[in-house]
Amino acid sequence: MAQPVFSLSGASFSYPGGIPALNDITLSFNGGERAAIIGANGTGKSTLLMLLDGLMFADKGTVCAFGKDLTEKFMRDPLVQREFRRRVGFVFQNPEVQLFCPTVREDVVFGPLQLGVDHRTIRLRLDAIADKMRISHLLDRSPHQLSIGEKKKAAIASMLIMEPEVLLLDEPTAGLDPQTTRDIIEVLDQAHSAGKTVVMATHDLHIVEDIADVVHVFGSERTVIRSGSAEEILADNPFLQANNLVHIHVHRHLNVKHTHPHDHGHTHGRDISSFR
Amino acid sequence: MPNRRLVRGGGFVERTILGTVSLLKETVSVERIAVRKGFLQHRDARFKCLAAALLLCAVLISKSVAELSVLYTAIICLALASSIGLLYFLERTMLFIPIFSLFIVIPAIFNAVTPGEPLVSFKLFAWDLSITRQGVDSAIIFFMRVLDSVSVAVLLVLTTRQQVLLRTLRVFRVPQLFVMTMGMSYRYIFLLLDVIQKTFVAIKSRVGYVSSTKQGRSLVASHMAGLWLRSYRLHSQVYDAMLARGYSGEAFVLDEFSARAADIVLLLIALSALIGTLWLNPFFR
Repeated sequence: MAQPVFSLSGASFSYPGGIPALNDITLSFNGGERAAIIGANGTGKSTLLMLLDGLMFADKGTVCAFGKDLTEKFMRDPLVQREFRRRVGFVFQNPEVQLFCPTVREDVVFGPLQLGVDHRTIRLRLDAIADKMRISHLLDRSPHQLSIGEKKKAAIASMLIMEPEVLLLDEPTAGLDPQTTRDIIEVLDQAHSAGKTVVMATHDLHIVEDIADVVHVFGSERTVIRSGSAEEILADNPFLQANNLVHIHVHRHLNVKHTHPHDHGHTHGRDISSFR
Repeated sequence: MPNRRLVRGGGFVERTILGTVSLLKETVSVERIAVRKGFLQHRDARFKCLAAALLLCAVLISKSVAELSVLYTAIICLALASSIGLLYFLERTMLFIPIFSLFIVIPAIFNAVTPGEPLVSFKLFAWDLSITRQGVDSAIIFFMRVLDSVSVAVLLVLTTRQQVLLRTLRVFRVPQLFVMTMGMSYRYIFLLLDVIQKTFVAIKSRVGYVSSTKQGRSLVASHMAGLWLRSYRLHSQVYDAMLARGYSGEAFVLDEFSARAADIVLLLIALSALIGTLWLNPFFR
């Protein structure tokens, strides 16, 4: 049986000023698992990922990573910090935050350089990852010259080059065109096939089935309200509607007003006979 | 009825938008030149910086208009060999600093500042003034020195990408922390410019043409705090992103420079210019 990579027990977190972000979270992520965290805006998905990456620490309860308590004191040890960063990679929601170097090349190699990987290995990894993410032609460009999709790809490359065991991704496909979304899903699929654990926060429900075996749904109380397989949760439309994850479409087909649940299998043809 | 003065003059908001857009355009055009196929673009940045430093030394020690003119001709030739249009180059090197320096140096041509052999004499109120040959010579030499120095600096900046130029500072033992901070500042200037531009467009879409300087200033003041908070939040997020990739206080970088024979040739040319100037100087005393 797979061992949990991360486990949270009664974890809560509030931002300065007492603004609650997470409330009594009990959850675990197993090694080699593909998990999606879904929820409406402001339900604490990003905060959870920050806790898992040891960038913030729970006010109450515990967060364990690889069997160790993830506390501020524990992460202060430089050797622990380096080992943890080597094992866990994080892609931020906003690529502007992640791409802070003057060129894409410098951004992509930043992680392995800090982790002390030798320069020859870094160059080999850079060639491979740039090829895989199709960003070779962008390496000498400044991040501000890239499109949002290119920025996302560069940000993911800057995490994958570190070859972490666990991939944490915050909305990696938000606002991207279908082809770029597909490219990113493919890369994550390959990472999972290579045995990596993938934990992703998203509200792109149409990609959840492709990228996750397990889904955890966060509700407005900023806690986990349901966990299960992607198939089971995505099939429960009333539950998704109640939690602001899908909506009812209201639109017109010629002169007929028509409503139906949000469903990507639905096609809008010219034949309206079935609505009359 | 729109206020005619406001419409005619263009408001603070419009000028800020135009300013940010023109800075972005200028940067992009400079970057385009830096990636063109030209002589200096293909040279190693370390050698280019050294060659520029040697040329600047030659300019500073030169004592005659003839020497400075030869150096200027050489700089123009280098610009042309680097696929930089002559007009574009002259526009960037002749205007502002050299012309401004010419105005500064005007008093030096008169006998009151530089006594010597009079070329033209005239009376101004109670003073007998004359323009002296020595004064004119020193003014021309000063102007030429400024022109040559500005041209060398502009040529270096136009033919080297900003990030490469920053990386070169490391070779000259500038602390990594300083270089990295400069690089990040350069990177985020564009992000903040983008934020400013969008903020002003949003303001303009709501307030329209009503944007006098006074109103503009008041709008800017009220949005400065917001912009500061945004940049503060961005700063802490960037720091988190650095931590997430293993940053622990000292940043390491990958230095990728490769020297070729032509780089050494460039350095030798610059060195010859310096030695030649030193050798010729005694003849122009």
